[in-house]
Amino acid sequence: TIGLQVSSGLQDLSLRDRGGRRRDFHDLGVNTRQAMVHVQESKSGFSGKMIKLTTNHFRLTSRPQWALYQYHVGYSPEIEARRLRSALLFQHEEHIGKTHAFDGSILFLPKKLENKVTELFSRTRNREDVKITITLTNELPPTSPTCLQFYNIIFRRLLKMLNLQQIGRNYYNPSDPVSIPNHRLMVWLGFTSSILQYEENIMLCADVSHKVLRGETVLDTMHSLHSQVGEERFRDTCAKELIGLIVLTKYNNRTYRIDDIDWDNNPKGTFRKSDGSEMSFVEYYRKQYNIEISDWMQPVLISQMKQKRGNIQGSVALIPELCSLTGLTDKMRNDFNMMKDLAIHTRLPPEQRQREIGRLLNYIQKDDNVQKELRNWGLSFDYKSVSFTGRVVQGEKIFQSGNMFDYNPQFADWTKETRGVPLIHAVPVDNWLLIYTRRNYDVANTLLQSLFKVSPSMGIRMNKPSMIEVDDRTEAYLRVLQQRVTPDTNIVVCILSSSRKDKYDAIKKYLCTECPIPSQCVLARTLSKPQTIMTVATKIALQMNCKMGGELWSVEIPLKQVMIVGIDCYHDTVSGKQSIAGFVASLNQTVTRWFSRCVVQNRGQELVDGIKACLQTALRNWSKWNKCLPSRIFVYRDGVGDGQLNTLVNYEVPQFLDCLKSIGTDYSPRLTVIVVKKRVGARFFAEVAGGLKNPPPGTVVDTVVTRPEWYDFFIVSQTVKNGCVAPTHYNVIYDTSQLKPDHVQRLTYKLCHMYYNWSGIIRVPAPCQYAHKLAFLVGQSIHREPNLMLSDRLYYL
Amino acid sequence: MDKNFQEEFTQIIKFKPPLYKQRHQFIKDLVEKYRPKKVADLGCADCSLLRMLKFCSCIEVLAGLDICANVMKEKMHTLSPLPVDYLQPSERSLTVTLHHGSVAHKDPCMLGFDLVTCIELIEHLEEPELKKFPEVVFGFMAPSIVVISTPNSEFNPLLPGVMLYRHPDHKFEWNQAQFQSWALETARCYDYSVEFTGVGHPPTGMEKAGFCTQIGVFVRKYPQAGESVQSEKPTEAVYKTVFKAVYPSLKDEKYLQNAVISEVIFTAQIIKHRLMSKREEYGDDPERKSKFQPSMDCFSDYLGKLVVEKNMEPFISGNEVYIPLATIFSFPKVNRLCGTFEKLCKLIAGKVTLSSDGSAVMFNIENEEN
Repeated sequence: TIGLQVSSGLQDLSLRDRGGRRRDFHDLGVNTRQAMVHVQESKSGFSGKMIKLTTNHFRLTSRPQWALYQYHVGYSPEIEARRLRSALLFQHEEHIGKTHAFDGSILFLPKKLENKVTELFSRTRNREDVKITITLTNELPPTSPTCLQFYNIIFRRLLKMLNLQQIGRNYYNPSDPVSIPNHRLMVWLGFTSSILQYEENIMLCADVSHKVLRGETVLDTMHSLHSQVGEERFRDTCAKELIGLIVLTKYNNRTYRIDDIDWDNNPKGTFRKSDGSEMSFVEYYRKQYNIEISDWMQPVLISQMKQKRGNIQGSVALIPELCSLTGLTDKMRNDFNMMKDLAIHTRLPPEQRQREIGRLLNYIQKDDNVQKELRNWGLSFDYKSVSFTGRVVQGEKIFQSGNMFDYNPQFADWTKETRGVPLIHAVPVDNWLLIYTRRNYDVANTLLQSLFKVSPSMGIRMNKPSMIEVDDRTEAYLRVLQQRVTPDTNIVVCILSSSRKDKYDAIKKYLCTECPIPSQCVLARTLSKPQTIMTVATKIALQMNCKMGGELWSVEIPLKQVMIVGIDCYHDTVSGKQSIAGFVASLNQTVTRWFSRCVVQNRGQELVDGIKACLQTALRNWSKWNKCLPSRIFVYRDGVGDGQLNTLVNYEVPQFLDCLKSIGTDYSPRLTVIVVKKRVGARFFAEVAGGLKNPPPGTVVDTVVTRPEWYDFFIVSQTVKNGCVAPTHYNVIYDTSQLKPDHVQRLTYKLCHMYYNWSGIIRVPAPCQYAHKLAFLVGQSIHREPNLMLSDRLYYL
Repeated sequence: MDKNFQEEFTQIIKFKPPLYKQRHQFIKDLVEKYRPKKVADLGCADCSLLRMLKFCSCIEVLAGLDICANVMKEKMHTLSPLPVDYLQPSERSLTVTLHHGSVAHKDPCMLGFDLVTCIELIEHLEEPELKKFPEVVFGFMAPSIVVISTPNSEFNPLLPGVMLYRHPDHKFEWNQAQFQSWALETARCYDYSVEFTGVGHPPTGMEKAGFCTQIGVFVRKYPQAGESVQSEKPTEAVYKTVFKAVYPSLKDEKYLQNAVISEVIFTAQIIKHRLMSKREEYGDDPERKSKFQPSMDCFSDYLGKLVVEKNMEPFISGNEVYIPLATIFSFPKVNRLCGTFEKLCKLIAGKVTLSSDGSAVMFNIENEEN
């Protein structure tokens, strides 16, 4: 009788989240595996050494024959207000029981009511009789998608019962914060949690989450920005620093995203209340919350309210003085010292992390009310996390000009091994410019001498550059570029005296669009330490070489005629709400050269059309380089948000196929599309000698904690010095390659070795990281598609 | 539980703002006038009045009491401190407690209050409870002020659809004479004075009906009972505490210390930053004068004035930057938090790196850069 369907129309309805949103963050119900015959039986690989792993997943158990009963609740006469609907229904607790979940129209009960249709009568205050009809619509088995949503809602209820504070999607414990006064930061410890159907069980995935809060208001931040940058750049800087940030308010428990700053408004300005009357902000906050706004000259922040399906539903004005900032800005992320201080508190080593997670489970186990709630629903948790075996695949060999290197798997890095070894393809630097300000004359010379020292052993031939001294102004740099860059220039190196972004942006913009020449910007500060100058110079020499079309090293790629594509997105929050998709595609057999393009689009536009054009040009270029078309294409797609998988499967993949079809009727390459996700809740710990350690790079997990409806796997590819290593999730959503899972996993891992800005293994396949770099450069500095003359080089590194 | 919003539905045509809001506003005005420190709401239901009162800056103790725990629990989490309350602890302390129990029983947790409100409460009481009510509230709790509101039955004919009582749970509804005689008798008995008022004006021509909600404000005539008197009273706890929230406050040493350390280091960082950038980028930037808003750049002007004074100038020596505590103490925010220089020194002792003589905050700038 399980799965009984009474009214089909109501079956798709799902429980409503807080705020009435219905969003499927977990991409439930997107079943891509069923279309891939070759992984129906098994999607597991076999190569590598076995490793015992523990994870942060906990089994959810329900008593046998458990089912959730879903009812539709109707009112006659119709009643709009959700609160009144609830109140009228709950007058009948003796009928429906004390344990229930109700969102205004759908009622979930742990028990079955006597009749399929129950009619109840309630009376409102104005003596109006209301008939409530409770109709059984569904009897849900524990694994149904609706049930999974329901578990998540119940779990959030439990977290609230534990007195944790909700910020965004996660819950935090405010009573024991860590404060970092040096940076005016406060860190709250909290938890992320999700309950999902995994390979064999429904499990809770719980992880530690840190919320960085700032002990200052938006107004404080504005003050300090003003004193830092001065009047002229004040508004611009505020926009860049503040827009996109999430704020908390002094008076309610909501978070808002800053979408705009209204400089023409201030707290004395008025707004229209819901009853139609006009009121000033000053008056409103005084009346409503007894809050006196002290600065009446501050501007007003604007936050767009998003409702269901992303429609914009008007905006809210916020007063900077009453808003506290949360999270980190890009600028803060780039602040090495700040990140170092933060890391002490946020980078928990495996054992400590597992202990903190255990604390949450402990709270749940110990709290009477929570246990009662769980019991009433007939649910419970396994309080010990799940253990299983994973595999560690063999390390790759690094090839560089006839030499072969192994690297120490513990560090996943071959900087030392390949030092002083000629590159695969070193581009000579015959004609180049070195631009610096007077103050940095010495630094420029130091750099030059060091470059001359390190280049020969790498096989790079380097001539003396044209040394050009400029004033420390953006226009001065640009004028020099206009006058001195010729079509023969190989590369321009600029030494900048401060990390002021406008100068960097202007240089990059000019040299990526109007005058397409590779460029390398270096901060003078980076070159000022004698003890590190050689390392820095080596890195700069390598980077310059890549930007001019050089190749550093390679790994063995067993597949022939294969083109690898990487896509990532960057969402520009500041200038015009653009989104940028970076697109890169390999050009040669060894996957050492990359073609790139970029799609710049305004908000609301779909990505797919632009990507189709990118793929077309990529194929054209591949065939130019290889005198044929690729027979296999792998697309690594990064930048897919939670809940967007459906769009990808239904719109983007068909576009890829369309594009391939348009090349020619006899052309049908094998296509594999893999969604890459860095931000996942899963953590793996290797059980070593009774303790927990980070699993070594090359650890592959494709059982137990993967999803049954997907062809997916995890790879831990990088190592971390502090804290826990984060696995990357790969979801093969389309695959006609006929390759075994093992081979797809190995290829993916190999590609993590191919990012030239880092002589080690990285978290994602190199094409994703290249696409990310490109999208970031364009989104941050250039804001339009770079000149295609550069498209066969890694100029965006 | 739903008395507030249901009324809103039926009477929104008649009363603007809705009647329950007018009742709340009445209490709020009273709080503004008398500025009580400890306020209890009897029959607090879904805590909506408490939610409003927690924003009143004079109140340090808020308590709610209701006979129905479920109604209180439904929205009690909205009385918890907000994240921002932790981030910027306020000057005042605030404790919010919810008790489950009856107004017919005495519990020592209700002693010592300045204001006790009973909004639309008494008409829900059964005869025996109503009888005990005056002794519990006026005799035992004995706050300086008691506010009691209840429906005025003379107004009922003007309300659409009201046959007998306004709510099925009402045990009675009094007319003005009944309420006033009960109130006067109670006041006389417990040595209070009482004044009558109300909210919800009758339509013109019907003034005789009186306010829709009648209100009695009782003020105690004798001075506050001393500690000794209170301790004689029965002290057995009968209420069950269902919720308690202690708001972070600067009165709590822990939060004060955090706030001071954070402010001191932050102030010192800014001074250091200015000192260093002056040294590094001299002549680089022209004027950085504010044309925007006077309030925005007060900091730099302020610093300019300070540096003139002796012994307060920050300086660099080798790899170390020294920022005198006296300079930091002269900043209004730090000053306001600590009060005295000695307190400042005491609070940051061992938490902030100081020069050897303890007179200045010290930063090492050797490893500053990345």
